[in-house]
Amino acid sequence: MSNPQSPKGNVPNVVALEVLRKNGIDIDKLIKLVTAGVGAEFTTYYYYTILRMHCTGLEGEGIKEIVEDARIEDRNHFEAMVPRLYELGGSLPRDIRKFADQAGCPDAYLPDNWEDINSILKVLLEAEQCAIRSWGEVCDMTAGKDPRTYDIAQRIMQEEVEHEAWFIELLSKRPSGHFRRKFPGQSPHTGSQGSLVHL
Amino acid sequence: MSYMPICNSDEIGERSMKMFNVDHTEVLVGRLHGRVFACNNSCPHRGASLVKGELKGDNVVCWMHGYEYDVFTGNLQNMKSWKKENTWMEQSSEWRKSGDLILYPSIEKEGTIYVCL
Repeated sequence: MSNPQSPKGNVPNVVALEVLRKNGIDIDKLIKLVTAGVGAEFTTYYYYTILRMHCTGLEGEGIKEIVEDARIEDRNHFEAMVPRLYELGGSLPRDIRKFADQAGCPDAYLPDNWEDINSILKVLLEAEQCAIRSWGEVCDMTAGKDPRTYDIAQRIMQEEVEHEAWFIELLSKRPSGHFRRKFPGQSPHTGSQGSLVHL
Repeated sequence: MSYMPICNSDEIGERSMKMFNVDHTEVLVGRLHGRVFACNNSCPHRGASLVKGELKGDNVVCWMHGYEYDVFTGNLQNMKSWKKENTWMEQSSEWRKSGDLILYPSIEKEGTIYVCL
């Protein structure tokens, strides 16, 4: 039985990949890191949906909108990078279970004590910090060698850094330069990337 | 087996490590208890760069998820997370899976460190 992920026809020499190899990029490793990164974004989008549903009460309603911004923007990160994954010769796993198992970040489970809003904020913060590490690896690997992957990864990184700042400010009351997005999931940095035609 | 010179001995101090690119392979070289070790720089769990981590006991601790590997045996020793209070035990067993470090034979001779890939 043929692999349903395999190309049906012959793929000619891809100059865009040849250039990366000449620049010293280990494309297989990059594909693994990118697949792990988009896996983390997709699973985070799923788990943030559950977290947002539990942002209730006076305190919870106060952070619901900011959780929604992060939730939709994380989904946008998945959308922004997946086209690049295919250009690199990679693909999404056929089975979503496998996709979740190889995600670059752990599952952002709803904490047992979710009625304490700080416990939800801590999960959100940890997820954003893991995403920063994950895309940081891609940025470090591609800087000066693969401008296309680097450009998308650094745009994602910028939004992840903003998300981390939001949750740190909510937890610590650190002074904040942040005000609000124009609309939920605005993605000011990645909005023009990938398949985000709906933005 | 052929050993390649990687660096001068004095470039790798006690309890330190450094990454070198050898024939498109990232090699992490370090020193613990006066003994040199060499391994692939890629974390067997999710591929993070181990040189960004730290040394703890005989282990290298990955900066991404806190996985710890013995630098002399390559074995996974601990998967305690950066979450401090908890461990990754709450995560699915498939997500937690990791291979062992890829180790490279290394020797130190007359002020030079050699590694065999």
